[in-house]
Amino acid sequence: MRGNESFEDIVKKDLDVRTSDGTHERMRRAVLDAHGLSQTNTAAATPTIRRRTLMRSPVVKLGIAAAIIAVVGLGIVEFVGTGGKSGVVWADVAQKVQASRGVIFRTTEHIVPDTYDQGVDFGMHHWSSTQSRLDLYKGGEINRTIWSDCNTKTTTLVDYYHKSYVKMTAEKMPDHFRMADPNGWVQRFLSCKYKELGQKTIAGVLCEGIETTDPAFYGGGNPPETPMARIWVSVETGYPVQFEGERVYDGARHTFVQDQFQWDVEIDESLFEPNIPAGYIDISPTE
Amino acid sequence: MIEDEILKWRFKHGSRTALARIYEKYVHLLLSVAMGLLNDPHEAEDVVQDVFVSFARSANGFGIQGSLKAYLAACVVNRVRDQARRERVRQRHLGRPAAGPAEASEADQSLLYSERCERLSQALAELPYEQREVVVLRIKQEMTLKEVAKLQGVSVSTVHGRYRYGMEKLRALLDGEV
Repeated sequence: MRGNESFEDIVKKDLDVRTSDGTHERMRRAVLDAHGLSQTNTAAATPTIRRRTLMRSPVVKLGIAAAIIAVVGLGIVEFVGTGGKSGVVWADVAQKVQASRGVIFRTTEHIVPDTYDQGVDFGMHHWSSTQSRLDLYKGGEINRTIWSDCNTKTTTLVDYYHKSYVKMTAEKMPDHFRMADPNGWVQRFLSCKYKELGQKTIAGVLCEGIETTDPAFYGGGNPPETPMARIWVSVETGYPVQFEGERVYDGARHTFVQDQFQWDVEIDESLFEPNIPAGYIDISPTE
Repeated sequence: MIEDEILKWRFKHGSRTALARIYEKYVHLLLSVAMGLLNDPHEAEDVVQDVFVSFARSANGFGIQGSLKAYLAACVVNRVRDQARRERVRQRHLGRPAAGPAEASEADQSLLYSERCERLSQALAELPYEQREVVVLRIKQEMTLKEVAKLQGVSVSTVHGRYRYGMEKLRALLDGEV
């Protein structure tokens, strides 16, 4: 045994591998190149943020409605044309979701194997057409809030646990905004191949569902290994009741559910105003 | 901890600088973990590069809400397991035993490590894989037994047993050398 070191300390110290300068630079370049490629691909694959603003124009709405009808007419999308057996007209769902003034819903996410504490039990979203607020809950309390504003391209995160905040302005909106966008979900379903799941009752509501395993649904330059997404819509109201998603990255299975939807609600504008408590530390990046 | 939270945040917003910092911060730790699991510097380098490349591409994918360090280590472990599975399949098809630990050629000094590290890595390779994984993750990665149990999908007591037997055997193998 060396000196006073424990066997564990020695193992920890001896198991030490480093890159040579050349290897370090080569690996670093490969990693950064992969990142650049991913950013390019994703920007091309997910133009959903700008669309939200564009869709306010009646002309654009009309154009998109016409495109949906044309696609359905050509039989490229399978969901309409179910005759009398279906109670949900999916093209109407897209229109209703698009027209919804505001929506509130819950997101729950699980990762298996869960090798670390996620720090979040669930998130509550408030959405208007161009703004969102996400409150992240742990143990019944909000530990972080994220505000995103599509108009100003600004995202603000307040971390109540560390009493700090970050303000970012970025050309691309953050991941949670893009992936959680309920309107984006429906639109992406329209552009993917999927199958009908039939009917089931969720929280006392009779729903009809569809499922896609099309990697394009999640977009990005690094499609998941086994993508799956489902949407369940109320037969009575025509609004989504539950979204379910699952994908595998690097052997870890990510599943998430969006539920407890309240559609077409008027959301108090003040909820979308970032509220930073006095004394919190600004840890915004300077680059 | 705070630095990692900021790095994650910036990375998710497309920051190359944040990615570069994450790489700089964790590449040597992950290489050491991979070497401890694989006892093969070439394979270790490939695994770690694959993990970082995949991570870089995931910027627009799912968010990482927990520990960045634990997440990256779990990626390395999963890739090593995949590699081991592929190797078993290859052996079945080719009907020949797996190659022994690769020896880094003198001409290829892509990774730098001491003779003690090499001997330790060889000793680790003599442990059953599950024990080796627990020992490396517990000691080098500083994961708790509970975290390792989650990663391995077994109980904490099982992991505790694997750690104890693994350390005993490792100590016996290295007796007098450390």
